[in-house]
Order: sequence, then structure tokens, then C-alpha cells
Amino acid sequence: MRVDGKNTFAAPVETVWKQLIDPAVLRRCTPGLKELKETGPDTYQATLVIGIAAVKGTYAGTLAITEKRAPTHCKITLDGTGGAGFMKGEGTIDLEPQGGGTLLTWAGDLQVGGLIAGVGQRMLGGIGKMLIGQFFKCLEENLGGGA
Amino acid sequence: MAVHPITLRVNGREYSGQAEARKTLADFIREDCGLTGTHLGCEHGVCGACTILMDGEAVRSCLLFAVQAEGADLKTVEGLADGDRLHPIQQAYWDHHALQCGFCTPGFLMTTVAFLRDNPRPTEREIREGLAGNLCRCTGYQNIVEAVAAAAEALASGAIAQAAAPHGVVPRAAVPAPLPPARAAAAVDGIVRRARRRRKAVAVKKTSKRQRKRSR
Amino acid sequence: MKPAPFQYLCPRSVDEAVDQLARHGDDAKVLAGGQSLVPLMNMRLARPRVIIDINRIDALGYLHDDHGVLHVGALTRQRAAERSPLVAARCPLLRDALRLVGHVQIRTRGTIGGSLAHADPAAELTAIFAALDGEITARSARGTRVIAAPDLFVSYLTTSLDPRELLVEVRIPALPPDAGWSWMEIARRHGDFALAGVGVVLAGRRGVIAEARIGLVGVGPTPVRAARAERMLNGQAPSEALWAEAADAVRAAVTPDGDIHASAEYRKHVSGVLAQRALREAYSRARMAA
Repeated sequence: MRVDGKNTFAAPVETVWKQLIDPAVLRRCTPGLKELKETGPDTYQATLVIGIAAVKGTYAGTLAITEKRAPTHCKITLDGTGGAGFMKGEGTIDLEPQGGGTLLTWAGDLQVGGLIAGVGQRMLGGIGKMLIGQFFKCLEENLGGGA
Repeated sequence: MAVHPITLRVNGREYSGQAEARKTLADFIREDCGLTGTHLGCEHGVCGACTILMDGEAVRSCLLFAVQAEGADLKTVEGLADGDRLHPIQQAYWDHHALQCGFCTPGFLMTTVAFLRDNPRPTEREIREGLAGNLCRCTGYQNIVEAVAAAAEALASGAIAQAAAPHGVVPRAAVPAPLPPARAAAAVDGIVRRARRRRKAVAVKKTSKRQRKRSR
Repeated sequence: MKPAPFQYLCPRSVDEAVDQLARHGDDAKVLAGGQSLVPLMNMRLARPRVIIDINRIDALGYLHDDHGVLHVGALTRQRAAERSPLVAARCPLLRDALRLVGHVQIRTRGTIGGSLAHADPAAELTAIFAALDGEITARSARGTRVIAAPDLFVSYLTTSLDPRELLVEVRIPALPPDAGWSWMEIARRHGDFALAGVGVVLAGRRGVIAEARIGLVGVGPTPVRAARAERMLNGQAPSEALWAEAADAVRAAVTPDGDIHASAEYRKHVSGVLAQRALREAYSRARMAA
């Protein structure tokens, strides 16, 4: 499914960029992230425990940041497999100055498959967007956002 | 995982066993009670093949744990017939060819028992709604609907006072001699008559189509 | 298709249950009707380490009327409420919606409290609860608290209940005397999760609407109150044109997601259609002349 959105931050573009590619921030803000181990430049091995209410699954996979054009553009790819299914996502993030702060535009494609997708089809889109939203909300909180 | 001693009352008889709490009632009935008439179709509450009666109400036994059923009065398909004598609902299913592979049938039968007890004179729409929680892959449902209509008629005119029995359990002593084929009963619901007319119309259409083909 | 192992606890009183929840909290799930939880466990999508089975707490199964409010114990079976003469008399909207919850076998075990605590985005009961401004009482080791409808539902399958809290009672105000009601939903097959569902209550005096309630389900992560549409209807004389206008306001109030069952556009459109039909039906049942 396609997901996209916009977020605003009170900080300038360079500051937002630094936060975005900082593994410490990734660790704090990625929903359900339990482990993040750097395996190469901008490549990480990740373990996520994601779910809603009682339905939680553990996914192990990789996270990579590519197409880096500091400080305005990058692409994040994430893929993981677990007992309940698999997920594969890739999204682009673009930063531009707005007012005194930054406008962040993100757009991506998220695929979820396996048992969780078969059973939870009617909620996956909404939940996917919600989790991505949580990531950016956390980023906002770190930077003092919402201009 | 801890094992619990479990005693269940099924079809009036007591069955004892030991099981983990996670063992479903369906599995306990099949494995520990040896009553394999209750079937497992989907094991997530959709198909109804596992339907049994618990204190007279139709429930999905795959969504209950065996430990939960202790103290309840359970009835499975094995409890319907009286020796060789089919329960009127079973007889109606038989007469109206309401089963092919038979996998869904026990679930349908138990649902029907509770349904007709609560709604002894259902309309066709009510029958379809009442059976909506049971899936059949073979019959296309038409014959099942007719069977339930005929069963309603048979029960209404038969000697069984289902309503008088506690928890919807049919007292064995009250099962009458095999009933005449419900089709012969003059008071059969219009459903069966209409369905017969429909089938006849289709047959006529097919025959005349064949005749037209041959005459070319 | 068999659940993962768990520790099974079976309290006989609310105090006992609440005590067990305090001890096991995040590791535990309350088992009421089981019609939503057990399928998840059977498929191992949920693997609670502890199950607290509340089905033997008899004190939680009741349904009575108190000063115009229905008090429903959390363990009241949906089928019992559906067939209750009290519900039929005081809140027929609830009865009509309950008839469309799953299938008979599900309603035989499913509970009123469980449906609200589970907060499925397509659950009819959540829309009724929201539309009628219901309340729940939750008990925990820390005490008792009341949660009103606007504060209960947070997101998909998520309520503001703490994992250590037990929902013990649901309170739903009775419909005003002479009020009309209607529940309409659309699903691909009988018993399927609703693609969209609308509950409406209309009451009025001297041919003018005095109270309008519109609650929707299946059109977002939580039930939606079409507040703007309600305000628009107040003080107006009923007419087909009014229902059409309200339907547009309802459409504007929802931002549903699309999925393989129905697109977002379809759900949005159908919300309006159902609202229009429901308003028409509710009006036909209302007595607004006097």
C-alpha cells in the first residue's frame, strides 16, 4: 500500500537531517524496535516487535538508508520476516526549509504478507500509517516540532 | 504447561481426561471423548463445522477451551440419533439430500437443533439467516434450507415436544417411529414446492435445448 | 492452528480477577466470550502468557434498568441482550445492531463488555455506545474509574483501558420516549464485518427535530460521531432534502481507509447512503407531532 504524509519541525533542515540519520534516534523513534546493529555504512540489522493490542509479532530484518543527498533527501528501506508474516517497505524523505523550520515530505510503499496480512487485511493500511506516524511524532518531539 | 483434570458431560454421559488449558473443547471432544462427529474446519470461528450445543445454545467448540466447559451440559451430533433411529432433523437432511461429503453436516445439525427450538415456524429468510454461521462447500445450501423447513414441519406435527425438553435436549424416549418422507406431507412449506417447480423448469429448459440441438 | 501454551487462571470474583491482573498485567489477557481473542490465539497471532478467564464471575452477568439507563454487566452475552425484553423496550437500537453482530453462535458466547474492550473498528456495539454517549466502569487494584464514550476508543483494537484494568459494567442511556431509531450496515455477506455501519436516533417535538444522534463504524480506527451532521439536524423540520443534506455532512465527517474489501471512496459514499436511509427509517418510527 502507498503511504505518504507531511510533517513540520521548528528546527532548520540541517538539524532535522542529522536527527533523521542518527542511529540513536532511529532506535528511540522506530516503533517496536528492539535491536539495531550496524553492519555497514548506513546499513543495520534490526529486530522489531510490532503489533496492536494482543497481536504482536517479532520481525528480524535489515534497515538501510540510501540515496543520501544531505541534507535534503534520502531513502529508507526496511524488510523483515517473522512468524506471523513478512513486511517490506521503502520510502523517500525530502526536507525543505519552511518559515524558520523544516517541511518534511515522505512517501512510500509498504507491503505486508503472510498470515498477519491475510487475517488483518482490513486494518493493515490504517495501522501501517499509524506506526509511521508514530515515528515522525517521536522525531517531532525530539526536535520541538509542529510549527 | 500445566495439565488440568477435566470432566465433561456430553450427550448425558461423563467423560474424564487430562489436558492443558490450551486444548480446545473441539479437540477434547474428538480426542479425549472419542467423539469425532464434531469436525474442525477452520479453527478460527468462521466455518461452523465445530458447532455443538452448550447448555442448549449453539457454540463454536474451536473457540472454547475444554477447561471452560466443565459443569456444562454438552450435546454433539452423536447425541441426536436414538440407536438406528435418526433424529427428525437428521431424517429431513437425509430425505432432502442436504449433505454430500458430510463434513459440515454435524455443525449444521447442531445449529438447526437450537435454531428450530427457538424459531419453530421459520420463514425461508429466517432459515437462511439462522444458518448463516455454517459454511458448506458442496451443496450450495438449497437442499439444506429445504431440509430445515421440512424438519420444522415434522417437528411441529410430530410427537416430540422439543420446547418442553430442558436445554433443548431431545429426550431419547420421545423420538417417534421414522416419519414418512416429508415431501409427502401435505402441509410442507411452499419452499419445497417452489424449489421443485424451479428444478422442473431448469430440467425442461435443458431437455428442450438438447432436443433443439439434436434436431439440427 | 493450536494456541501457544499459557497459564490459565479462573477467578470467581472481580476482586480476584483484578488482583490477578495487577500481578500479571502486561503478560495477561482477559478471556470473556473469546470470539475475537481465541481465533487470534489459535492462529498464534496473539500469545498471551497468562489467560484470566472471567466467565465464572457470575456477578458480572446482569442487565437492568435504572432511572433511564441500562446497566449491563460486562459478561452479559450479546445473544441475551439481543433477546432481552428490557433492551427491546428501552433501547431497540441496541437490539437491532446486535442482530447483525457476527452469527448466532458468536453472540451466544460474545459479551457486551468484551466487544467494547476489544474495540474492533467494525464492531457495531462501539458505534451504538458512541452514539448514545454510554459509559463504562473499570476496576483495577488502584480502584474504580468511569470512562465515557468519547474517551474510550483510542485506535484499532486499542482502548484507554490499562492492561491491568477490568471492564466491569457498561451503561447505555435508554432512548428518549417517542424517539425513532435505525441501524443500517452494509457487508458483503450476512455476518461479515461491516464495511460501514450507521446508527441513528431522532427525537422531536411539534414536527421539529430536537435530538439527533448519528454514530458510524467501519469508517476509521474508532467509531465516529457525526457531530456536525447532528447539529445541522437540530431544530429542523424533517424532509427528504434534509436527510440528503445530513448525508453529505456525514460523508464529510469520515475519512475511511481502503482495503481489499472496499475502497475508501466506496466506504465514504456508502456512509452517506446508509445515513440517509437510517434517518428516513428513524423518522418513520419517531413520534414528533406533539
